[in-house]
Amino acid sequence: MTLRSEVLELSDSPDAVYEAFCEREWCDGLPIIPPTPERVEAMLAAVTGDPGESLGPLPPLWREATLEKLAVNAVMAGCLPEHFPVVVAAVEAMLDPAFNLYGVQATTHPVAPLLILNGPYARAIGMHGGAGCFGPGFRANATIGRAIRLILMNVGGGWPGRHDMATHGSPAKFSYAIAENEATNPWQPLHVELGFGPDESVVTVFGGEAPHNVNDHVSATASGILNTVSDTAATLGSNVKWYLSQSQLLVVLGPEHAATIAGDNFGKDDVRAFVFEHARLPLGTLKLGGMWGIQDWPRWMMAVTDDRTLLPIVASPKEIFVIVAGGAGKHSAVVPNCTFSRAVSRPLTRVRP
Amino acid sequence: MELAKGGTPAGLIATATFQPLAVSELQALGMGGLPLLVIDHPLGGEKPEGVLRRAHQAVEELAALLGASR
Repeated sequence: MTLRSEVLELSDSPDAVYEAFCEREWCDGLPIIPPTPERVEAMLAAVTGDPGESLGPLPPLWREATLEKLAVNAVMAGCLPEHFPVVVAAVEAMLDPAFNLYGVQATTHPVAPLLILNGPYARAIGMHGGAGCFGPGFRANATIGRAIRLILMNVGGGWPGRHDMATHGSPAKFSYAIAENEATNPWQPLHVELGFGPDESVVTVFGGEAPHNVNDHVSATASGILNTVSDTAATLGSNVKWYLSQSQLLVVLGPEHAATIAGDNFGKDDVRAFVFEHARLPLGTLKLGGMWGIQDWPRWMMAVTDDRTLLPIVASPKEIFVIVAGGAGKHSAVVPNCTFSRAVSRPLTRVRP
Repeated sequence: MELAKGGTPAGLIATATFQPLAVSELQALGMGGLPLLVIDHPLGGEKPEGVLRRAHQAVEELAALLGASR
């Protein structure tokens, strides 16, 4: 296997390696695993394809996302080789023009690509979708998400304040990767709903904010919980709704909320329809600020004059994604997107047998 | 950029804060020679009369830049 990356000779000390990578602005501020040729080769051996093969130019600096460069960053992030096919599929998904990676990388909005892994591969590598899935403690989640961020910084060039122009950034920009909790999902998992087979392994990238908590400890009905979900989703300060054609919302139902909703015989279509009808703001509220006056709405919404009219935050129920994740407790989450990126899914096609 | 590649006079407007991103972008895409007009930051939050004044100023400056680049 021929690698083409520059070789650095550094002192064989974790401190020296950490210092050198920080000085060169090659890391996220946390210690990294040194990407030695042996480690990079082991990573590359987990996928099909030549190390020099590029998945495409990565914005905002449009540098080539070769498998070798992706592998270097995956090693640095602490990935195991079996994590690498997920990283590669996620980069493939992010490079789909519909995802608008340039916008996601360069915007002032605190958006990060959320990776959602479905299917048997998620279980095989221990990708976690249970209690605390958005938080620390799970190597596959932490390192796969971190690899994506290092790739976006080191290959794409999205350095905070320079080419990543996010006003505040986000904790989600360190690592943002989960599995769906398929075992507790009373409905079809996300990838099956999107047309993939149940035995396929699929990564979905969603350009979202960090999760917004939905606390509902009292509702015992689908409508009760989904009223709380809808109210959390529809806020004046959210990006979602202003560029309606690209506004999408991810609803992450905790298993207990999902069970209550399914207990009322709601299917996912019912969940989407309910949230679409209830996650709305009156025209008079929308006029108070946000992006009022520079919004991109369909003609019918622009023609509304009654300030009491409740307007939707997404164009249709199909722009609402519903997954089940998390552990015990009466909490769910909503993840608004950045309003200029659409979710993209890719099957894991490069797993080396 | 596509307009410029097709021969139509074109330029880029960026606020000062976004100038480094714009310059990097132009260079990365091989369009470093494209006229770049830098205006004061921020643009958002400007009152309508301010937007109009700045737009008039920017159009004149951009036209001068485009003329100079021919």
